[in-house]
Parts: sequence; structure tokens; C-alpha cells
Amino acid sequence: MVGDFVQFLPALAKGAGTTAILCIIAAVAGSLLGLVIGLMRSSSWAVVRWISAIFTNFLRGIPLLIILLFTYFALPLLIPGAIFSQMVSGAIGLTLFVSAYIGEVVRGSIESVPKGQFEAAEALGMNFAQKFRYVIMPQAMRVIVPPWVGIILAMIKDSSLVSVIGLVELTQAGKIVGTSTMEPLVAFVLVGAVYFVICYPLGHFGRWYEKRLKASGFNVPHQATATDILDEEPGPRVGGNQ
Amino acid sequence: MTWYLGDLIPYMPLLLQGLWISIYISVLSFVFGSVLGLFAYLAKASRWRVLRGISGAYIEVVRNVPLLVVLYLIYFGLTQFGVNLDPLWSTLIALTINNGAYVAEILRAGFEAVPKGLREAAHALGMNSAQTFRYAILVPGIRNVFPAMTNQFILLFLFSSVASVIALPELTNQLLRVNSETLRTFEVFTVGALLYYVVSSVLAIGSRLGEKRLFRW
Repeated sequence: MVGDFVQFLPALAKGAGTTAILCIIAAVAGSLLGLVIGLMRSSSWAVVRWISAIFTNFLRGIPLLIILLFTYFALPLLIPGAIFSQMVSGAIGLTLFVSAYIGEVVRGSIESVPKGQFEAAEALGMNFAQKFRYVIMPQAMRVIVPPWVGIILAMIKDSSLVSVIGLVELTQAGKIVGTSTMEPLVAFVLVGAVYFVICYPLGHFGRWYEKRLKASGFNVPHQATATDILDEEPGPRVGGNQ
Repeated sequence: MTWYLGDLIPYMPLLLQGLWISIYISVLSFVFGSVLGLFAYLAKASRWRVLRGISGAYIEVVRNVPLLVVLYLIYFGLTQFGVNLDPLWSTLIALTINNGAYVAEILRAGFEAVPKGLREAAHALGMNSAQTFRYAILVPGIRNVFPAMTNQFILLFLFSSVASVIALPELTNQLLRVNSETLRTFEVFTVGALLYYVVSSVLAIGSRLGEKRLFRW
């Protein structure tokens, strides 16, 4: 029984590798897109703020599975002749999903910067780009770490759903190994253990960092929650927490 | 590709039926999960080290392992012990176990956030222990916990879509079926997304209103 398993460990390791690649792509792309979405929320043009608000609210109000099914089955129809591999569809879906949450956290951390900082930057005659590049973002980036870690942690777990569109990542590899060895219990315990080993330290790091920031008097934005879906007023809500 | 919703009209009852099952499993596992979460929280806050350890391990394991893996463990894994659960029971058990761990954390955070001074103030006002518990622990604690709990319910509702992978005929599963029958892929998933969005928005509005109405003090 145990001997069977050793034989299938390479398959699980390969699945874990696919999960890692998928998560790294989605984390990088999702963070960049999230940054853009979050900055759009502070724009002085109402249309831009609205686009950002609708994008965030809609994506957070539907299940990730629906987004993945959409990017896998429906999205290629928009581009004639295109066929997306499971990896590409999964990465696009996961990126979109995670960017909505990161966008909200970016907005929260921009809001945690005292209003006086915005006014000071404007008084110095800085434009939008200079204001954010030199004054706001360096301060906002510090408090963004704990909620960002929380989102990435959730994303690693959520990436298991990409198995539904057929990508052989960790969970799907576990399912295949479980079926072929007739030992699904051991296979899924192993798979669960791999996720645990990655997520548990990450969660600890997030909480430790948050404590440290709070101890130094920073205003850490809370993680975007589902009831924030309707947190409208898409005005430039900056410096509101001070 | 042309946009045409007409093909979907005959399937609307099926989709609404799926939506109903989604809501139904969410409500049931939220109720069971909240009870489980309450016990887990009480165990975590208890004086006995063993209880604290068990509860802590449960909470940490569930919060760091994907729901899908837990669902597979119950649906496929338990067959090794000769336990064959149907999709509905597997889903209910998996969602309950999942929700219990998050509820335990919500309760801990909510009740820990009630300031101790409130209890001291209640004593100073001459309240007895029942009154102190009610006005200085329970009510403020529930007020802290309420928004997080409704938020958790919405997340649970969205995550109930995972049950489609073990062929429980809830909304996502029905969408996949309608998709394969009509081949109106774009329309099917757009309608599905809108159905989920409408329900989660209604829940979010309800939560906001409830928060304002119930705790206006």
C-alpha cells in the first residue's frame, strides 16, 4: 500500500508544481491589475471610478467557479479561432478574481494615508502620478502587506477549483492518484497536507506582520468582505480614516 | 457569435430550481456550521488544554486546506471505509465543517473585541451576573459578530457552487447541463453569473439594513 504511493509521488509533485506556476502567474498579474483597479478608484474622473467599482463589485458577487467556467468555455468564443489551454483559462480566471479583491485592498490602504498627505502633495503642485508615486504609495504599500497575504493565501486554496476545467494541478493529481491506487483517502490527506504546509506559515506571517504594523500605530485596512459588495459612493474617498 | 437568450427560456425553471438548491444547502450548512463553530469557539476558550488543542487544530486545518479537498475527502475518501455518502450529504458535511472553523474565528474575534471595561461598568451599576452576561457580553458581542456572520453566509453561498463537481444539481451544475444541451455558452454563464450576483447583492443589502436596524444604539 505504502509502496504504491511512493510510485505516485512524482505525479503529486508535478501537480504541486503546476499549482505553484498557476498561483505565481495569478499573484503577479492579479496584483498588477489590482493596483490599476485600486488607483482607478481614486481617479478624479467619475467614469473611471465607476468602471473600477462595477468591476470589483460584480466579480466579488459571483463564485470563482463561474468565472473559471466563463474564461474556459465562453471567453474563447469572443476571439474567433482561439482555443485557450486549461492553464491559460485558469490563469486568466484566477487573475481576474484575485484582482477584484486586491483592488479593494489597494483602495483601503490608499484611504489609510492621512488626508493631509494628499493636500500637501497637491499644495506642492504635484500631478496625479507624482502624488501617488512619491507621497501616497510609499506609505500605502506598508499597510497593504497583511491583507495582501490573506488574499494570496485564499487564492492558493481557491486555485484547487481550476481542476474543474481539467487542469491537472495538485487537487486533480490527487484525484487521479486516488482513483488509480484505490486509496482516495490517503491521496486527499496528502494533497491537503501540501496545501496546509504552504498556507499555514503564510497565514502566520500575515498575522505577525499585522501585529507589528499595529504596534507601530499603522492603520491596517481590513480584508475586503462580501458585504462590501455594495460599498458604493465611488467618490475619491481618500484619507477617510484619519 | 450572436447573442440570443431565447434558447434559455425553456430552461429557466431548471435554473431557478438549481438556485433554490444552492440557497437550501447554504442555509442548512450555515445553521449547522454556526452550531459547530460555537462549540469550537467555546472549546478554544475553555480551561482544558486538550479541548483547546483539538479545537485549535480543527480550526487551523480547515482554514488552510481547500474546501474542494475536504469535499473530495468526504465524497471519495470515505468510500474506503465503506461509507458511501450521496452528493447532498457530502456537500452538507463539507460545507458545515468548513463554515464551523470560520464561524469559530469570527466569534473569537467578535467577543474578544468587547472591552473588559463594559463588564466592570455593569458590575459598578449593580447588575447581577445574568444581566452582566446579557448586556455587557452577549449583546455587544453579537453586534460585533453580525456583519462578519452575514459576510460568511454570502461567501458560503458563493462557495456552494463547488458542489457541482460531485454532481449535486445546484445552480452551477444545472448551468453546465444547460450549456451542453443548448450550446449557448456565453449566454448560459452570463445568466448564471447574474443569478449569483443578484442573490449575493440582496443578501448584502439585507445585511446592511439589518445592521442599521438591529443595532442602532
